[in-house]
Amino acid sequence: MPLLEIRDLRKRYGAVEALKGLSLDVERGEFFGLLGPNGAGKSTTINILLGLILPDSGSIRVFDQDFAIQQVAIRRRMNVAAAFTSLTGVLTVRENLKVYGRIYGVRNLERKIDELLERFEITELAQRKLQYLSSGQHTRVTLCKGLINDPALLLLDECTLGLDPDIAEKTRRTLQEFQREQQTTILFTSHNMHEVEELCGRIAFLSKGEILRIDTAARIKSLIPHHVLEVRFGPGIDLSPFRHLDGTPQAELGGDSTLRFVLDDPERQLDSLLRRLTRAGGHIADIQITRPTLEDVFIKVARGEI
Amino acid sequence: MRYHLSQDFTCTAPAVWGLVYKFTCICYRSLDRIFDIVYWPVISLLLWGFTSRFVSTTSSSSGIMEFFVGGAVLWSLFWRAQADVCTFILEDFWSRNIYNLFASPVTPLELFCAIGLIGLVRCLLSFVFLGLLAWFLYAFNILLLGGTAIAVFTTVLLLFGWVVGIVISALIFRFGLRIQVLAWSVGFIIQPFSCVFYPLASMPRWVQVIAVTLPTTHVFEGLRHAIATGELAVRPLVIALGLTCGLLIAALLFFQYALLQAKKRGLLTRFEMA
Ligand SMILES: Nc1ncnc2c1ncn2[C@@H]1O[C@H](COP(=O)(O)OP(=O)(O)OP(=O)(O)O)[C@@H](O)[C@H]1O
Ligand SMILES: [Mg+2]
Repeated sequence: MPLLEIRDLRKRYGAVEALKGLSLDVERGEFFGLLGPNGAGKSTTINILLGLILPDSGSIRVFDQDFAIQQVAIRRRMNVAAAFTSLTGVLTVRENLKVYGRIYGVRNLERKIDELLERFEITELAQRKLQYLSSGQHTRVTLCKGLINDPALLLLDECTLGLDPDIAEKTRRTLQEFQREQQTTILFTSHNMHEVEELCGRIAFLSKGEILRIDTAARIKSLIPHHVLEVRFGPGIDLSPFRHLDGTPQAELGGDSTLRFVLDDPERQLDSLLRRLTRAGGHIADIQITRPTLEDVFIKVARGEI
Repeated sequence: MRYHLSQDFTCTAPAVWGLVYKFTCICYRSLDRIFDIVYWPVISLLLWGFTSRFVSTTSSSSGIMEFFVGGAVLWSLFWRAQADVCTFILEDFWSRNIYNLFASPVTPLELFCAIGLIGLVRCLLSFVFLGLLAWFLYAFNILLLGGTAIAVFTTVLLLFGWVVGIVISALIFRFGLRIQVLAWSVGFIIQPFSCVFYPLASMPRWVQVIAVTLPTTHVFEGLRHAIATGELAVRPLVIALGLTCGLLIAALLFFQYALLQAKKRGLLTRFEMA
């Protein structure tokens, strides 16, 4: 039984069809990514799951309960951290967390708050008013709020926006630890592909309100099969004979005594290509293989090329 | 998707407690929130107190000071209650906390219970302060109205203040922050029709038609009656109380409707909601 079960979710705003029948299962303990271009419907999906937006049709089951009927009870075991949202500015960080801790009925609240502040390295901000924090500090407070009730389902909508690389890395680690310790199910959106790839077991690729594909990052990347091989030869060598060798893909000239080959089937082509190049007298000084990244796939999907 | 309204009418202690804690913190963290407990009420008391002092020197009728000062003190209760509901809700829009609040298990009923509790304390503080000030400045002792009269008057005014506050909040959810000015100005629209400083009978017919539908009118008519005769006219006040309770339920349902519309139009995630 999946922890989260979405069926045929539809939402239209006037002429804009934000979701066109989205269906999705997320298992307990999964770190699940929602990926897609601006306006794809990621936030809409998350906000519907929070009860902030009412969909036109479709059904949602969370914790094996019907979301339409048991929403308040379900929300008690969920939480969210989203970019562009805030807590109460005139209250201190600790007061804000206490408010939500009480609303969610958290036991040993003071200890829980101390622990979260420590995890996100903002203990020294506890008594500062929220309105005076930097955006990265603010983001970390929002994350603490998201974890305050040890949610069984955590929704993270671009929650790492504005973090510096060091803090972003620590935050990812903290989220992973948390997910492992608590078996939390996490639904995650981000435009940082590296982050999505590192964190998410499975990814749903959304475009224009529809899911194009649900798979692991590795398999999604294989939507672009070809690798690019760059071969640098020793100085002063004439490269033209190597560009059209029999049985090898055509190469483009790169700068600095370099040829670029596009390999459709790298596993089969790589070994024979390198052999032929050396056999034809090429002295290879360096090689570099560039594999397709999630970002390449993303761009192709966004441009409708896949 | 169907939405089951009944779940929004649950009320649990932890949520109310959490929100009361929040509103208390807001009050002592922002000075203006302490200041506004007394600011407008005191201005209104000064204005009407000095006006009535002047009028009573030129008129032979008695009890003028009591009518005006009593009216000003009691009106401030309604005004305070109504404005508190709106500002505590608006605070969450201004700070973009509305997203996190409505994503939490808090129900609208819990929200209004918490606002009601904190509002009650603020209104009582305001009432006590004004009562003392009226006594000090104009030698007007509001306690002379009697415990029952004060209890009934304040209950109706507080409840009706919440009714109007909830309706304005609902409109803010429906139409966005561009109508937020109503939060402070609606009192000035209702006041002339509430016969705060003049009897119902002195009004033109069309105003009377509107005025009798307002619970506030019956409170101020009752106040004048009590000052003039020393007795409490129970019947109109019971009707006013019943009417107010009915309106409170209607206001909560209207808020619920507005919230549902906001959720359909995706407005809870659009903080500016233009
Ligand atoms: N309240 C609203 N009213 C009208 N249209 C809306 C509303 N909210 C979202 N939309 C539209 O719905 C579509 C999906 O928006 P959504 O916010 O879900 O995108 P997203 O995938 O989160 O994009 P981003 O990566 O930019 O955050 C967009 O075309 C957006 O303009
Ligand atoms: Mg979004």
